[in-house]
Amino acid sequence: MPTILFNLGLAFMTSMMGLSLQRSHLISALLCLEGMMLTLFLMLTTWATEQQSSLLFSALMMLLTLSACGAGTGLSLLVTTTRTHGSSNMNNLNLLQC
Amino acid sequence: MTYAIFLFGLCFVFGLLLVASNPSPYYGVLGLLMASAVGGGFLVGVGSSFLSVILFLIYSGGMLVVFAYSVALAADFYPEAWGSRSVAVNLVVFLSLLVFVGSGFSWGLSKKGVGEETVDFGGISLIRGDFGGVAILYDFGCSVLVVSGWVLLVALFVVLELTRGQSRGSLRAV
Repeated sequence: MPTILFNLGLAFMTSMMGLSLQRSHLISALLCLEGMMLTLFLMLTTWATEQQSSLLFSALMMLLTLSACGAGTGLSLLVTTTRTHGSSNMNNLNLLQC
Repeated sequence: MTYAIFLFGLCFVFGLLLVASNPSPYYGVLGLLMASAVGGGFLVGVGSSFLSVILFLIYSGGMLVVFAYSVALAADFYPEAWGSRSVAVNLVVFLSLLVFVGSGFSWGLSKKGVGEETVDFGGISLIRGDFGGVAILYDFGCSVLVVSGWVLLVALFVVLELTRGQSRGSLRAV
């Protein structure tokens, strides 16, 4: 169990560093968010399996649903940014602000 | 099995490291796909194989959409893979940070002793825990199911309003 927690903690920290340090494209930030959600999925599954509680597995389905909603909204924001600014680089968002 | 799970976990961290080191989005999606595949193996090792199938089918299906978007919208003239200079610098910096943090972690864990067992739901039974847990969603958790369906419907309308581009959506001609 500690090594599993070790790996998953490192994975979450990696994605969070990647999200927060440097992003050039908006979709790279979305990919890091997806990685964080994947890590959360693995953490919750490991927890439910270790607890041997079947009820917790239905929370996983809800997590998948919410991550699908988040990914859909993020992709639509990406499309909106591409339509207004011409590309999805993050620099454009800073340059063209009012 | 302990070492196999640890190896899967390390490969998972490495896949996310490939995403986090800021390559072009094509290659980032490849890293995320690798991480999800290895995560499926991790879940099989931990003992919930049905969730692994769900992760591999549904999550990778969703990733396919993201992959198509990244190819279509983030078209660089010179895509940067991990051999490129800035991405390689990011990769090395993140890896050294992880080694630093991970050595602290493992020092803290060594106080408690690193032992590990994997848990399969014990014995031969008709309904495994993960199958039954997902099926509970349709029985006790029907209110949660309705709420999730409603949330998906609301998300559909949010996406439609965000990308509509007429006079009343979020995209307006100023």
